[in-house]
Amino acid sequence: MSVTYTERKTGSALADFLTEKAQVLSIAAFFLICVLFFTLATDVFLTAGNLLNILRQAAPILIVAVAMTFVIITAGIDLSVGSQVALVNASAALILAMGVPWPLVVLAMLLLGAAIGLGQGWFIAYQGIPAFIVTLAGLSILRGAALYMTQGYSIPIRDVAGFFWLGRGTILDIPVPALIALAIAALGALVLSRQLYGRQVVAVGSNPEAARRVGMPAKWTIASVYMLTGLASAVAGLLIAARLGSGSSNAAVGFELQVIAAVVLGGTSLFGGRGSLLGTVLGTLTIAVIGNGLILMHISPFFTQIVTGTIILVAIWLNTRIFTANFSFKRKT
Amino acid sequence: MPSGETEPPRIALRGIRKSFGSIEALRGVDLDVMPGECVGLIGDNAAGKSTLTKIISGTYVADAGTIAVDGEQVRFTAPADARAHHIEMVFQDLSLCDHIDVMGNLFLGREMTRWSFLDNRRMKARAREMLSDLDIRIPNLHAKVAQLSGGQRQAIAIARAASFQPRLLIMDEPTSALAVAEVEAVLRLINRVKARGVSVILITHRLQDLFEVCDKIAVMYEGTKVAERETRRTQLDELVKLIVGKGEAI
Repeated sequence: MSVTYTERKTGSALADFLTEKAQVLSIAAFFLICVLFFTLATDVFLTAGNLLNILRQAAPILIVAVAMTFVIITAGIDLSVGSQVALVNASAALILAMGVPWPLVVLAMLLLGAAIGLGQGWFIAYQGIPAFIVTLAGLSILRGAALYMTQGYSIPIRDVAGFFWLGRGTILDIPVPALIALAIAALGALVLSRQLYGRQVVAVGSNPEAARRVGMPAKWTIASVYMLTGLASAVAGLLIAARLGSGSSNAAVGFELQVIAAVVLGGTSLFGGRGSLLGTVLGTLTIAVIGNGLILMHISPFFTQIVTGTIILVAIWLNTRIFTANFSFKRKT
Repeated sequence: MPSGETEPPRIALRGIRKSFGSIEALRGVDLDVMPGECVGLIGDNAAGKSTLTKIISGTYVADAGTIAVDGEQVRFTAPADARAHHIEMVFQDLSLCDHIDVMGNLFLGREMTRWSFLDNRRMKARAREMLSDLDIRIPNLHAKVAQLSGGQRQAIAIARAASFQPRLLIMDEPTSALAVAEVEAVLRLINRVKARGVSVILITHRLQDLFEVCDKIAVMYEGTKVAERETRRTQLDELVKLIVGKGEAI
């Protein structure tokens, strides 16, 4: 009797692609459904003016969401980004009011953001305190510092045309903040997928012990991603100050939730190791479109908070249940 | 080897002691492994096998005793020190990153870069060589490790440790979770690594594996090395008696 052996064929590349990109494809589809819905429901949604407005408003969220994607890929979280934005926003206004040249102020604020982020990263990576606790403390401390500095007042910024251009200007009709945000997103995608640093971030998120054993700088990698959110929050705080022409300790309240929602909606796993910056961009735009569309439909602005929260819950649910292998709607017997 | 001189052991341990609090995990262990030799390390749970290999791989620092690599005294304080002496370890949990592809895992921690960008083309060519050198068949280098079978994952972990000119390769339970054909493949892999002059320390509970790859078997009991046997001069039942502490009867 003869025995025949056959080799398993390599599966179709398309099937692999679909499994691999299921998350991004589903958020892309959800985004298009939202756009379609608001286009039909309102007259003004699909006009160039409104779309550019959405981009301008979404820019600070997108910038911080790019950095947050790195943090969440390492299985961390940064709850303090809203407070960091407020602190930078208020500090920038206070220092500009003293007459310091604006490029210097921008540089100083970027350094401040990086330093705050690195400080939190040190506690998380080198002292082993959970990111949730460190950044929750940061959320309180940094917002408190902003309130203390401004005593709760809004600080006006006057006659700094170059600085205002960052928040209000356009290049070829496209708002400058949107261009900055898209450039940062493109840079982030390049670093994450093609660079050694991106590989280290994914490795640390996927299996921190393995990364340590093969000699990767695991602790530094973890600390550094919080420096990225600090830096990104500083950029966002500056853009908000430049757009509104004032600095306020009450800026960006609830900002961290929008950022985290955008990242998770984009398919980045809260358990670390897996994430996509294209997904983050689509997630951010989806949240911005929903916020904008609901307002255009004359629905209470408070309602958008309910929607944002619901989206986070549903996205995480999908993230943990449906996009794992061998999912079936049927009950296991 | 020049005639008349005996080659120094690849690694020589003398009087290794290590305590964790009041527990003496190792109570003075001596062990020699010659170049190209495979030593099986067996013993009951908590006999000190893993502690000993972790000292050799630099994860733990011994309280007392000396380590010599190729006749030269060394002192390891971190895994990187052991790596610098070309000592590689394949861990029981494999230490692979599920979210990174086969190629990325093979080069984990040793990525080839060009201006800080991953040099995927060069790594891919080298990864093909690494796998075909050890006769490992994984068709798609871009498959995520999570999609692979236990044997393939094991093969990747071994290929990673074996491909960067190790002088000593330590394997902790490489066959414990594998199916029959996969065990055979891993044992063949160990023999191929040995044939290239690499010394191997193999920890296993599957005693029958020892007879296929090991030259020498060291039995540990309660933190000491109680016996050392040449593989061709021992039997399975003798090893079992030595492990459970009834060696006096022999």
